[in-house]
Amino acid sequence: MSTLIMIDQPPYGTWNGREALDMAFSLAAFDQSASLLFTGAGVIWLKRAQDAAGIAQKSVEKNLSAAPIFGIEAILADRSACQRYGLDEASLITGVTLVDANGALLDQYNHTAFAG
Amino acid sequence: MSSFNTLHILNKSPQHPRAAQCLALLSEGDALLLTENGVLLLCAGSLPAMGKVFALSPDVSARGIGNTIGDATLVEFGDMVALSLQAQRVISW
Amino acid sequence: MADTSSETFTLVITGAPYSSQAPQTALGFARAATDAGHRIARIFLYGDGVHLASALSAPPSDETHWPKEWAGFLEHHGIPGIACIASALRRGLVNETEQKRYALPGSNLLHPFEIAGLGEWVEGRMMSTRTLYFHAGG
Repeated sequence: MSTLIMIDQPPYGTWNGREALDMAFSLAAFDQSASLLFTGAGVIWLKRAQDAAGIAQKSVEKNLSAAPIFGIEAILADRSACQRYGLDEASLITGVTLVDANGALLDQYNHTAFAG
Repeated sequence: MSSFNTLHILNKSPQHPRAAQCLALLSEGDALLLTENGVLLLCAGSLPAMGKVFALSPDVSARGIGNTIGDATLVEFGDMVALSLQAQRVISW
Repeated sequence: MADTSSETFTLVITGAPYSSQAPQTALGFARAATDAGHRIARIFLYGDGVHLASALSAPPSDETHWPKEWAGFLEHHGIPGIACIASALRRGLVNETEQKRYALPGSNLLHPFEIAGLGEWVEGRMMSTRTLYFHAGG
């Protein structure tokens, strides 16, 4: 039962993405297959060199880099969204796979869910 | 009884970014169920060419747009339950 | 579109009452599902959805009291209603146990809602034919 958790909101401005990440980590903790797909403005999660100290939040970059350790299968990012937000391979954190978010991609998962 | 690949439940108004994302991902064999503000798609121009379109009747009535449903099929909550079971998977946008 | 077999659902509500329609749509779905003879394994409140379990909501008397409507439905059908503990604590929704643990001045969890972890969501998914999400609209 593979699950794709989608994140389409950027970090820091809302808590939505953090709660999506918790869902994915929790699936992995129960040995359920889970992957993350970042689309739209959500791809900003994947930007290298985030420093959230000035807004008194924890950088989400650290949370995300822990994803493979916690058993998240894949971190996927929509190619066109990355282009739109000026992200190339050099500006992305490591371990991200670029994909085209389309019907064929969703067909590979039994479940697709947003956190909110 | 018809069956669908994916049932997309859209409760966002047409200008919400997630509405565009949902419509872009509709595939042949999918169904779209408009609920809450999602029903405003009925009066915002053209419905997607792909897949069957349903709209939750109480939400359509609440917004007074029952005269603009076009090719969409009005359904009740009981139908929503049945539709969710007829699809291989359900995505709530 | 009648479905004759009995299936099991888990419903996840992430939209708050009075700022979204999510709890109402979810209740419409839940009532229709039980009317059709289906079983609801559990309701899981996540993110802003946890506000539905507040015992301190006091909407004007001519508006539907969604927390009470939901509480009544859950009690009538014996369905567990679970608020995610991490979402709940961040948003100021606590039961007596959490009140004591964090030395808070009060607790406000509406009966019969409970507070538990995301594991309840994972388990609900595994025991259900379909898991549906009710997010805030917009």
